[in-house]
Amino acid sequence: MSAIVYSLQEKRILENKKDTEKRASKILAGFQGTRPKIDIERGKYFTESFKETEGQPLVLRWAKALYKYAEHATIYVDDDQLIAGRAGKAGRYGILYPELDGDFLDEAIKSLPSRDSSPFDITEEDAEYIIHEISPYWKGKTFHEALAAAIPEETFRYTYNQDEELTSRFIVNETASFRSSIQWVHDYEKVLKVGFNGIKKEAEARLAELDEFSPLDNTEKKPFLEAIIITADAIILWAKRHGKLAEEKAAKETDPFRKAELLEIARIANKVPAEPAESFYEALQSQWFVQLFSRIEQKTGTIISNGRMDQYLYPYYKADKEKGLIEDDKVEELLECVWVSMAQYIDLYLSKAGGAFNEGYAHWEAVTIGGQTKEGRDATNELTYIFLRSKREFPLNYPDLAARIHTLSPERYLYEVAETIKDGSGFPKLINDEEVIPLLLSKGANFEEAYDYSVSGCAEVRMPNRDTYTSPCAYINFAAAVEMTIYNGKMLKYGDEVIGLQTGEVSEFKTFEEFFAAYLKQQKNFMKHAFIQQHEIIRLRAEHFASPLGSSLHALCMEQCKDIHTPKIEGGIDLGYFEFIGYGTVIDSLAAIKKVVFEDQALTLEQVKTALEHNFEGYEAERQLLQNAPAYGNNDSYADEIGKILDRELLAFTAQYSKELGVHLDLRYVPFTSNVPFGKVVSATPNGRLAYLPLSDGSSASQGADKNGPAAIILSNYATKNYDYRNRAARLLNIKLTPQCVQGEEGTEKLVDFIRTWGDLKLWHLQFNIINRETLIAAQKNPEAYRSLLVRVAGYSAYFCELSKDLQDDIISRTGHVAI
Amino acid sequence: MTTGTIFNIQSYSLHDGPGIRTVVFLKGCPLRCIWCSNPESQLPHPEIYFDKAKCIWEKGCSRCEGVCSAHAIQNGSLNFDLCTNCSQCAAVCPSKACSVYGTEVTVAEVLEKVERERVFYRRGKGGMTLSGGEPLVQGDFAVELLREAKRRRLHTAIETCGCCKSDDLRKAAAYLDYVMFDIKLMDEKKHIQYTGGSNRLILENIKILFEEFPHIPKRIRTPVIPTVNDTEEEIGAIREFLSPYSNFTYELLPYHRFGQNKYEMLGRNYPDLPREVEEATFEMLKKKYVD
Repeated sequence: MSAIVYSLQEKRILENKKDTEKRASKILAGFQGTRPKIDIERGKYFTESFKETEGQPLVLRWAKALYKYAEHATIYVDDDQLIAGRAGKAGRYGILYPELDGDFLDEAIKSLPSRDSSPFDITEEDAEYIIHEISPYWKGKTFHEALAAAIPEETFRYTYNQDEELTSRFIVNETASFRSSIQWVHDYEKVLKVGFNGIKKEAEARLAELDEFSPLDNTEKKPFLEAIIITADAIILWAKRHGKLAEEKAAKETDPFRKAELLEIARIANKVPAEPAESFYEALQSQWFVQLFSRIEQKTGTIISNGRMDQYLYPYYKADKEKGLIEDDKVEELLECVWVSMAQYIDLYLSKAGGAFNEGYAHWEAVTIGGQTKEGRDATNELTYIFLRSKREFPLNYPDLAARIHTLSPERYLYEVAETIKDGSGFPKLINDEEVIPLLLSKGANFEEAYDYSVSGCAEVRMPNRDTYTSPCAYINFAAAVEMTIYNGKMLKYGDEVIGLQTGEVSEFKTFEEFFAAYLKQQKNFMKHAFIQQHEIIRLRAEHFASPLGSSLHALCMEQCKDIHTPKIEGGIDLGYFEFIGYGTVIDSLAAIKKVVFEDQALTLEQVKTALEHNFEGYEAERQLLQNAPAYGNNDSYADEIGKILDRELLAFTAQYSKELGVHLDLRYVPFTSNVPFGKVVSATPNGRLAYLPLSDGSSASQGADKNGPAAIILSNYATKNYDYRNRAARLLNIKLTPQCVQGEEGTEKLVDFIRTWGDLKLWHLQFNIINRETLIAAQKNPEAYRSLLVRVAGYSAYFCELSKDLQDDIISRTGHVAI
Repeated sequence: MTTGTIFNIQSYSLHDGPGIRTVVFLKGCPLRCIWCSNPESQLPHPEIYFDKAKCIWEKGCSRCEGVCSAHAIQNGSLNFDLCTNCSQCAAVCPSKACSVYGTEVTVAEVLEKVERERVFYRRGKGGMTLSGGEPLVQGDFAVELLREAKRRRLHTAIETCGCCKSDDLRKAAAYLDYVMFDIKLMDEKKHIQYTGGSNRLILENIKILFEEFPHIPKRIRTPVIPTVNDTEEEIGAIREFLSPYSNFTYELLPYHRFGQNKYEMLGRNYPDLPREVEEATFEMLKKKYVD
């Protein structure tokens, strides 16, 4: 009898089943698995405009660049589509942000088609244009050149290699250079309610009220308000050009059904986002125009998130349903038209660090569902269930679906969430109201705002009219700190160069406490440099980035006439972060040394060091001893207590010093895919991990170290948290289950029990991979047959076959739990 | 303080009773079913096992050879005929290739471990399940574990083959919320042939459970073993026997060979059966006899 139980996703692939009935499936078939192309229009028109506006206030320059784009960019209304608008060529496309990488864009473009992970195609003509017209203008003007120049020499050593492109050292890694903002959510509801004509009117009224003699009003508020007006004009013009194109297409269309569809698209594009939306279809098209134009405006980290779609679209859905104007199938079809549009936009990263952080063309336009209303009541509605159904029936990797869970989430919601997870493509991820809301309150939010938070990016949250901090933050490789403790400040990868603190030779440590204290010194030193970086990042960003569109959708920005990238906006809550990379790796390394060296005295520290230097070659017994020591993820207090101390030390540091920066820099455990490149600089570690392999990801256990099942991982997470500190944020947690584990109705029930318990424990985030190891291995061998296989990576789902071999191996090596 | 011998505590178990559970495996079993997939559970005392796949002798390790006074280990293999079960090898083995099945523990130690996952039991009536071996072979210990678990307000369950003293079963049942009971064969002769023991006591015990503890929900299970009981006649007889009773569910479990590796690690021969149960037969039996 066959022993393997398959998930629905695995069955679809094995049976080579394709749903060709759906409109979205037809559109998807046209681009799935194709190599993305680069579209240069955004880079071109921004550069042209910036050349013309030198010396003007930055926010105004940004608005004018948007207007130029709106006037000249190619407009698309795709075949079969019901939703108009794309930001680049047909098929999968990436666009250029030369303000970020213009200085090395020419070099990067040459290597793009051949790079290992996430390659792109570009036409020769476009490449020439970039090299001769775009790139030269930006040399000496980009943010990251300014940042590299500003960072003190000592901090530089942890940040960059001494090369032309300023490649990352992956020790204390800044992420502000490869994106213009951290992940973000707009107040889309405002557009749906007042339209951009409404926003324009608001700005005009404010402009009229300005004090004509005030220097501040003249130099700061006036250009801001003018920028808002130009931006509103730009998006309206751009949308109406879609209306015109749809009319032209309709005139030529012979199929009467399609003709009617095109005329409807034209009617809507001529109306929104200029005017308020009056139906579900109009609201959705309006939202899509806004988020697409936001992509044109700037490169938001992980791309602009969608906010609470089941909440702000609900009134339109409800009204249409009551009037009998729309059926649920049509709602689902329209949503799927948006999903396939999202899937064609590719987050193009040209810097090596950016690419390594976001493998598999990753972007996370999180759609939030469920949770609570502003009044603190359960918020699920009929639309919530349509989002879940759409994910089951059309399991694409976009959008990233995030389900908010709270103690009173209804049973139907939890069961449908569990059923959707069981499908196996990794959706939805879960975010816990019971952890997020109290933390937001502790940082100064009102109940109303905290209850209404949106999931943003891979595991973060935003309060759209209250969050005001946009600077990307440091990703810190604490496994490198372990290495520096062993090699007295050096790392094998970087030879004789002393990078970290010289905390002593291993022969000098007589007790575990001494060794641990040395590690903590290295850890604290990394923090020092991360915060120095951040100081400079905050200081410099406002000179390089502006976001008139984003600012127009933020109440505080409009009130104070300040761009969202201004370092301080009164009344805002500034939620930054810093990232712990390699948590499991570090805990297990320290626990192994404590147990094997100091407690069992089975090895000396010198012997451990020798084994590490040899990458355990010829030292297998040493490796086994270390590997079999207590490890994080097993609900074993021996390891977990070490983890709790690491966490607490970092929280105490940021509690003391983030005040000086005027922001909350909260501890996060969210790696994207960066545990792979960070691992590539760290030699063998005392937990038995071989040199240059991936570090542990997020707050998950080291690969294969969790031997006691998923409940134990959850409990280790709980045990290592310091609930008395408010300086914490997301902890990303991946759990891999085999489909057999969640089989049948009973399996669903137990998955719901598991989710409820996770909620009770006040953990922040949880996501599942429901997949057989055999399937992953088969996909690696035969990618053609497994093109559509989706897996959870780190806060997002990606096509397994588009990930690098390293990351694929990393996913395979994460323990899969089979219930006994 | 009551102590007993266990060989595993399995957390996050989904298929041994309601909800999410922790299973405590007690060592020792009076039966010797030829299809047994837990051979390490049979003997009551701790015993050495040797996992060749984990052994790193080929990579230059020979720590065990130096400590084995019986000279039972050489060149990465363990001669069970010479092994005295002293477990010195397990103490020095870095890769856990040499290890011991079975440790003596107190009731408090077991409960401490079980309670570490208690937050998961609150939903869906999860809790502690005693399994084995036959948990009631260590009657006092098992009863004490259940009594203490109930004192701590945990949901309790047992997996039993029913081959135990009836009094122990009665004492245990007083602290049980759920019982999983195996009936393998109705024919006594065949029962002796394939399990090494009579089924008289087993059938008597199940009657006691049904008659004296009718309020406890029960799950009666039959492992479907090729050539032993994979026929309508055998399964039908079991269902017939159960017909007077209520408040139970019936389950058929397919035969599997997951235990094969463990026989090898214990230096025993695997009593392989000539064939698998055919899927069609199993489905037919399920359709006919499982409600």
